[in-house]
Amino acid sequence: MTEPPVTLEILMQQALAGDKRAYAELLRETARFVRPYLAKRLSIPGDVDDLLQEILVSIHKARHTYDGKRPYKPWVFAIAHFRLQDYLRSYYADQLRDATELSEVENSLSEHVTNSDFTYESIIGEVHQLPEKQATILEMMHQDGYTAKEVAAKIGMKESAVKVAAYRAYRILKEKLSR
Amino acid sequence: MDAMEKHIASLVADAGQVQSASSPLRLWLKWMGVAVVYIVVSLLFLGVRPDLPAALHNGLFVAEMLLLVAIVATTALSATLLAFPDMYQHSRLVLAPIAMFVLFVAVIFLAWQADNPPAPPPVHSFECSLTIAVLALLPAAWMFYSMRRLASTHRRAAGAVVMLSAFSIGAITLRLSEQTNSIMHVIEWHYLPMIAVALLGVWLGKMLLKW
Repeated sequence: MTEPPVTLEILMQQALAGDKRAYAELLRETARFVRPYLAKRLSIPGDVDDLLQEILVSIHKARHTYDGKRPYKPWVFAIAHFRLQDYLRSYYADQLRDATELSEVENSLSEHVTNSDFTYESIIGEVHQLPEKQATILEMMHQDGYTAKEVAAKIGMKESAVKVAAYRAYRILKEKLSR
Repeated sequence: MDAMEKHIASLVADAGQVQSASSPLRLWLKWMGVAVVYIVVSLLFLGVRPDLPAALHNGLFVAEMLLLVAIVATTALSATLLAFPDMYQHSRLVLAPIAMFVLFVAVIFLAWQADNPPAPPPVHSFECSLTIAVLALLPAAWMFYSMRRLASTHRRAAGAVVMLSAFSIGAITLRLSEQTNSIMHVIEWHYLPMIAVALLGVWLGKMLLKW
């Protein structure tokens, strides 16, 4: 006679009764089926692991709210979804905090170009130390004489994105050169 | 042993036997019992309106009171379900208060239509909102305290229904205590503040139900 399969619900009931082996197995199984759910929604693999650990902690803290009388997976996914939302909310809040206003860029872009004490040639070494995309944009704008709109068309970016990248490059250069 | 295995091992080491939380139904019955006792005790202090027997012959007043009771019951049920991460897998029941509020608005509208000529408003105004808010304090604190021991994944909604439930308890108490037949006064100073209270609940839920 074969034994009935041990379901996640049974494992959780055993874990709630104090069975540590069942609890470890349950958490391992939970991590296994929650990982693809997170991987589909997050682009950075390190973030998936961090969030998965956080979700396991939440499951640990909230395990008294599960009584073994209802399916286990919806309970877990409710917690996983909640923590994912929290994570995404703080991620986008950080992104917004670090974002650059386009109007800010528009106002200072011409100032950087015309009121500079340096020629492009004299700082070409620093320009090459910039991230590749920023260096290319500055080179096209200041060596080849293209406008931001033309650069955008040539490298397949939006004009606003080119302006933001150029603005960030100017800020880095300004910091370096004023030291 | 990789990082995840270490993490699981640390959680397992911290684990022991755990007592499962009461079911939402038991929690709801407990809350309802406390609400009834609270309303009775409050009425003992405030006194029952002298014209209550006459008011109970008014169908719209009875409907208003019954719907307030239904609002207390459904918002409390909604709150108990929202206290569980998965809403105890009864997500439709969580929406039950919406139907009660729709019916309540309809009854209040009919009462407003029927208030012709309008009954004279009482001399006081905001004192009613204030009294209801004070009466709601203890039930709200009790409900938030109970919910903090669980794990809500819908903190804002949970906070809103807790505050609506508590405020409705206060509203029932005051409606059974204050002798007024001016429906405009009741709408303005008893029921419209519910909107502000619900918004306050959204904020309180976010702050108090963190876990």
